[in-house]
Amino acid sequence: MAELDEHVVAPARLTLMTTLTAVSDAEFATLRETLGVSDSVLSKHLGALEAVGYLRRHKGVRGGRRTTWISLTPLGRRALRAHVTALRALIDAID
Amino acid sequence: MESKSPRPTAQEASAALVDAEATRARLAGRIATPSWFFVSMGVAIAVQVATVAVGLGDKQALDAGELGTPWLVAAGLAVFAAVAGVQLARFRRLNGVWLGGFASRVVLGTATAASVSYPVALGAAIWAAYGERWWLVALWSLVGGAAYALSGRRWMHTYRGDPAAHARGESLAWLALVTAAAVGGLVTLALNA
Repeated sequence: MAELDEHVVAPARLTLMTTLTAVSDAEFATLRETLGVSDSVLSKHLGALEAVGYLRRHKGVRGGRRTTWISLTPLGRRALRAHVTALRALIDAID
Repeated sequence: MESKSPRPTAQEASAALVDAEATRARLAGRIATPSWFFVSMGVAIAVQVATVAVGLGDKQALDAGELGTPWLVAAGLAVFAAVAGVQLARFRRLNGVWLGGFASRVVLGTATAASVSYPVALGAAIWAAYGERWWLVALWSLVGGAAYALSGRRWMHTYRGDPAAHARGESLAWLALVTAAAVGGLVTLALNA
């Protein structure tokens, strides 16, 4: 049985990483608005996931302003896929 | 948002998955194309098809073993490149996301419908130009442009149905290779003009 990933087990991080699978890169403010969280909360989760190599941040420009863009890494995609598999197994085991 | 959570129960796991997928669907649903996007892309492709057909399908030049009017072909490619570049920049600014699938499938036309309709329309337009049937050149150019735009609309619908499967499109390396080939062709044509 696949193991839950301790770095993704928090629902907020699962939502953050799952949302990033819908795009190649997302700008910080777009992600914050979509998730409905504050700058500091989002930054904290981004920092934690970046530290384990699940996503990367890079500087870019939007509307003439320098902004931060975020994307999942291949490692992050694999980790998310494995975590979701483990969650589904957990649900199926009860059903 | 907590960073450390105990092992979830089945109900919590189910709720977390549902919420995560709903949030992803919300982001995908909010992604929109800039105003006049499909019209401008359709027109750019129609212009590009027409210029290639007229530039390469010149019967007298072909019969004489010459290339026709390469500067016209280069001009058509330049129009398409300019429209595509501007629209991609507008898309990124409007949505705050970059969507590789959109860039490759919709703008560069690698979606199935566009990758079939474009060469058909281009070949038919060149054939019409060689026969000096200019109204047919115009017709096939319009057909090519319309099919390209409709293919893009169809891809957007498909993307929203399953964003994770369609978000990324071709790799950046592949897009860079295609762009380099297009720019190389453009430069070659311009130098031969």
